[in-house]
Amino acid sequence: MKCSEVERVLPELVDGSLAAAFPADFESHLESCPACANLVSDLTLIATEARDLAECDEPSPRVWVRIAAQLRDEGLIRDPESRPILVPASPRRRWTSTAWWLAPVAAAVLAAGAYVVSHKPAPQVATQVSAPAPTNPAPQNSAQKSPDISPNPALVATTSQPVPATHSPTPKLAKPSDVVASAAYPTVEHEASAEDQQFLSVVSTRAPSLRATYEGQLQTVNANIREVQAYLEHYPGDQDARQQLMDAYQQKALLYQIALDRIQ
Amino acid sequence: MAVLQQARIDYTNTVVTVVLVTCLSAASLAQSKKEYSYTVGPRANISVETQYGAISVKPGSANQVLVTATFKSDNVEVDQQQNGNRIEIASHLLRGTDPQIGHIDYELLIPPDANINLRSSNGPLSVERLQGDLTLEGTDAVVDIREVENGHVHVRTMRGPVTLTDVRNGHVEIDSISGDIQMKSVTGPLVQARSGSGRILYDGDFGSDGDYKFTTHTGDIEALVPADVSAAFRAHSVLGRVRHDFPLKPRHSRFREEAGRSFIGTSGQAASEVLLRSFSGRIRLKQR
Repeated sequence: MKCSEVERVLPELVDGSLAAAFPADFESHLESCPACANLVSDLTLIATEARDLAECDEPSPRVWVRIAAQLRDEGLIRDPESRPILVPASPRRRWTSTAWWLAPVAAAVLAAGAYVVSHKPAPQVATQVSAPAPTNPAPQNSAQKSPDISPNPALVATTSQPVPATHSPTPKLAKPSDVVASAAYPTVEHEASAEDQQFLSVVSTRAPSLRATYEGQLQTVNANIREVQAYLEHYPGDQDARQQLMDAYQQKALLYQIALDRIQ
Repeated sequence: MAVLQQARIDYTNTVVTVVLVTCLSAASLAQSKKEYSYTVGPRANISVETQYGAISVKPGSANQVLVTATFKSDNVEVDQQQNGNRIEIASHLLRGTDPQIGHIDYELLIPPDANINLRSSNGPLSVERLQGDLTLEGTDAVVDIREVENGHVHVRTMRGPVTLTDVRNGHVEIDSISGDIQMKSVTGPLVQARSGSGRILYDGDFGSDGDYKFTTHTGDIEALVPADVSAAFRAHSVLGRVRHDFPLKPRHSRFREEAGRSFIGTSGQAASEVLLRSFSGRIRLKQR
């Protein structure tokens, strides 16, 4: 058997089907060819680990909170109040030293968004605590059966109000936080709020004149997130709404990134 | 009495004029210009970053980069360096400088095939007649890109409006949190525009073999297309109103059309794929 022939059967080795029709001279080639032996060994390891990974559950949103808490304990994320206000010689370097955490936070926001979007809420999610349940049954997939918006007065109010060019930071739903807090996403939301506070504290320290701007934009994107989350409480199968939620999280990550670039 | 009043008005006008002329003269005197020149090879990478100020880029000679920086005060510095085919220009305010006077306007003449990376908080950022990859980022900056082809175009703004005109044959990705996005005659294999609360306006024919995705949260989306457009459309607003005045042919899809909220259909040979999606904004497909 030649090296090229070994490479040809490698995919079968990875998916486990090689064992059934194992080439007779495969092992003998591996014994004589260290390069192929190493390659096969590495691939086998990767395939095994990948299968184990696939069996893992997706991390709970609490994981992100724990990570944030651990980072604080280790001093990697600090309270901005304790940070001295300095004017550095190099603006870029100074930003890096004071707010470097925005980049991983933006990534965490995206990861949390991806988690929320991909996470299928349990059936009991539909039992609302503070929001009125729709009178019509929620569709399992709006793409196949679009939702009737009329049963939800809060959502109807959203569409009936004109949206100004510079949007009000206040949430458009009556009490979206109440709706959201009922089941599926509370941990993610609280975690984001803590980071938002830290984000705004850094903005206040570094560029006080920009705080109002970023705060307004942040409230808008948070309101958008809550709005979609509240909608998904009623229509958990709406794939387009899930994509909108992912987009809303990406907008939040974009805001963090822009701040990272701007406030130097 | 009337003569006295007239004289008083004339005097006031004269004083105002003198003050204005003095201020303008002082402002022009306060401005200073510096020029930087670099020799580069094909597909040079040019990066310009300023906290406050305009950046304008136009095509120049094939192997020369000319940068003119206009300073509004002495309290701002330019750091510039060239490493081979890569040029980096960045300006920063000196300690204690008021951002209002500490900005620099840049004008660049660059090889048409150069890749550029521009960043300014308040802009405006304008690029025209280039063929390289473009990355433009701003907070409130107005972004204007025109007559660009074959290069990738990436734009990110927070509130600044983005206008693309005559952009062809490149990957176009525009992200804004609340800025409006306007595209006129923009085509390419991938054209993606996303704004949270800004409007997205598209005026063009969607080319051929392209993938177009326009997404907003609360902003409206409007596409103005010619009667002979060749595209497969899917539009859906979760809470907003969706309509079209276009004779679309039914299209087999797993998505179900719902009057007023979504539509699916094709026109012509359906050469391009068009997705218009919003959460609560209105969507309209209109025939030109």
